[in-house]
Amino acid sequence: MSARRSVVTLFATGILLSMGGLRPAGALLAAEPPRPAQGPRPLETSCVTCHAQLDGELLEPTRHTGDDIHFLKGLSCHDCHGGNPAAGGDGDPTAAHDPAKGWMKPTRAQIPGFCAKCHADAAFMKRFDPRARVDQLSEYRTSVHGKKNAAGDERAAVCVDCHGVHGIRAISDPRSKVYPTNVADTCAHCHADASLMGRYFIPTDQFAEYKRSVHHHALDEEGDTSAPTCNDCHGSHGAVPPGVENVASVCGSCHGREATLFRETEAKKKLDLSACIQCTVCHGNHAVLEPTDAMLGVGPQSTCTGCHSEGEPGYKAAAQMAEDVRRLTGKLAEANGLLDRADRAGVEVNPDRFALQKARDQLVEAKVLAHSFDLERFNVAANEGIASADAGIAAGRRAFAELRYRRFGLSLALVLIAAVIVALAFKVRQIERPAAE
Amino acid sequence: MSAPPGAAGAGGAAGAAARLLAWLEERLGISVLLELGREKRVPRHRHTLWYYLGGMTLFLFGLQVGTGILLLLYYRPSAGEAFESVQFLMTKVPFGWLVRSLHSWSANLLIFVLVLHMFSVFFLRAYRRPRELTWLTGIFLLFLMMAFGFSGYLLPWNTLAFFATQVGTEVAGALPVVGHFALRMLRGGEQVTGGTLTRFYGFHVAVLPALTTVLLLVHLVLVQKHGMSVPPGVEERQRRGAEPPRTMPFVPNFLLRDLIGWCAALGVLAALAAFLPWELGSKADPFAPAPAGIRPEWYFCWMFQTLKILPGHILGVEGEILGILGIGVAGLLWLLVPFLDRAVAPARRRHPAFAIVVWAAIAYMLVMTLWVYLPAGG
Repeated sequence: MSARRSVVTLFATGILLSMGGLRPAGALLAAEPPRPAQGPRPLETSCVTCHAQLDGELLEPTRHTGDDIHFLKGLSCHDCHGGNPAAGGDGDPTAAHDPAKGWMKPTRAQIPGFCAKCHADAAFMKRFDPRARVDQLSEYRTSVHGKKNAAGDERAAVCVDCHGVHGIRAISDPRSKVYPTNVADTCAHCHADASLMGRYFIPTDQFAEYKRSVHHHALDEEGDTSAPTCNDCHGSHGAVPPGVENVASVCGSCHGREATLFRETEAKKKLDLSACIQCTVCHGNHAVLEPTDAMLGVGPQSTCTGCHSEGEPGYKAAAQMAEDVRRLTGKLAEANGLLDRADRAGVEVNPDRFALQKARDQLVEAKVLAHSFDLERFNVAANEGIASADAGIAAGRRAFAELRYRRFGLSLALVLIAAVIVALAFKVRQIERPAAE
Repeated sequence: MSAPPGAAGAGGAAGAAARLLAWLEERLGISVLLELGREKRVPRHRHTLWYYLGGMTLFLFGLQVGTGILLLLYYRPSAGEAFESVQFLMTKVPFGWLVRSLHSWSANLLIFVLVLHMFSVFFLRAYRRPRELTWLTGIFLLFLMMAFGFSGYLLPWNTLAFFATQVGTEVAGALPVVGHFALRMLRGGEQVTGGTLTRFYGFHVAVLPALTTVLLLVHLVLVQKHGMSVPPGVEERQRRGAEPPRTMPFVPNFLLRDLIGWCAALGVLAALAAFLPWELGSKADPFAPAPAGIRPEWYFCWMFQTLKILPGHILGVEGEILGILGIGVAGLLWLLVPFLDRAVAPARRRHPAFAIVVWAAIAYMLVMTLWVYLPAGG
């Protein structure tokens, strides 16, 4: 998730930037980044002491001196906003806010360059993190957000909209606005806002759709932070909607095997020429639901019948694939059931369970091979799986035969033991009778 | 007139047997043993039933030795092969599952019967002079059987056994002064590894059997020397003439009754092996997190639960250390029962507090054991 990491890196940069100046973006980029070793250190500046006595938005920045990553790294207000942090002790902010000393408060148009003052400076960023990315601004300029910002659209998202203004946290901090589990909410802040998106003719149902998806379930409910969220498909700083041409590549960055198989198919070539968007035709885009067996085949929930009509080879192949998956799944369930029952009855079936794993693997393989739309390749996996499942069923039946054999042996042994006990009891009575103690 | 062929044959066989006995007698003096068997008599009264527990324990121990030897033919004592060898035994070797199940079930039944035997001896005061050493050897045999159980539990190298051994050896490690040495000695290092398995195997098949053989022989010789103890109450009634002193020959009367019990035990074990074969579980993975519900064998559970519920510190001393010391002191007192009984109540009757304390201890052990097995316990 390097893209996500870059979001956070930008975010970390953002707090510096958000306190930025009034110079044009180009000038800011060219400017020298701050030198944090100069002047009073973070909490001893006149910025902090004066603003701490103010109200509202002027007070707000001082509340984040304990949790903002920039403060935690030893930077302070003047490192982003400039000015004279030693002046202003007399209550007059003029000297502290001296434009000649670089004091500035950036406009939204200036913010990207303002943040990039440090975050595009590799030498400066390496002081804090040798692996820090410094390409966020150039990425941002390729994004829809960046292009609109450059065109003077004040509403286009800038660094602070995603990362926050003051109180910016490290990306690894679960409270960060760009921590994986928070990214969708952060994006939805604008993209679910109908009045804002209406200006751009962009739909606002993406967040609601995404929340129904298997990706959101994995990320939010199972806590799997490797599950994809908005920026994993759209990019972070260079966020754009994936084009028709590259949807398979986007999905394939995680679902590699399926994407490779799909790229080789005739279907992809046909889809490329149509208005259909590859993977999303069957799986949807934001609402990627848990795939089910019913999606394959010619039933009412099939996705195949959307393109293939009865009588076509594709229709027949889909029907055949669905039937094979149904058979393999049924046989697998039967084998598992038999082995489970034999296990509960006390027969050691672990080696047979292990062997049955091959049938499970082949079932997965067959479902993956369905993306090749090649019945012959699909059949190889499905038939191997069915053969393994049949072997599992046979092993389960053998286990039950063994169980019957054991119980028959036990019955026989118990009869013999009972006979010996009775004989011994008679013998005891016999030898003790004449004793008449 | 010549003798009938059959009579000649029978006479010939009897003659051969007599000659063989004479041959053995000349070299081994076996008549002493035969005479001992003929002369040995067992007291007969309303508590005679408890006498069979000793023989039953001996029978189950014999079964342990027999099935253990069969297991040895296939078992491989290394972390890489132990689990697989037991799995092979249970799935591929004819009746391997039966041998392993009999070994495991009879080990548990052995401890159960041994505990019953011990308490019957206590409540019938069979440890009275001159049988103090019989009691001592018996208690040491119980400790040895528990050590057999602890060491044998690890040998299949499955998950549950691995983590239970880790917990069990940690208890030894908590002992004051010698704890760390004991832990390293048991584990063969700081952690439970394949080295621990090999070490436990050595204990299980060599060290413990050797010690048990010696102690068991001493115990049996002492039982033979002093005969069966008659409970004081019965003795008193016999002294007053309220009950005639009755006995029965050990051979064959008592021995035949013993055999009935052994056959019944064999039937129970066969049923357990067929209906509840001893599970193998999954192979131990030292890098996997400990599974939920780890617990030792049932006979260690009361100690395990005691240590678990103790607070971290009691009067400034670590709770676990105090618990281990407490259990150690209780074990020592139990060992010294014959001497304490005489010291507390030199008269014929035992001090009533004695039995009350023991009943309370039994109740405590039962409650603690059940606690472990209850769904919310362990």
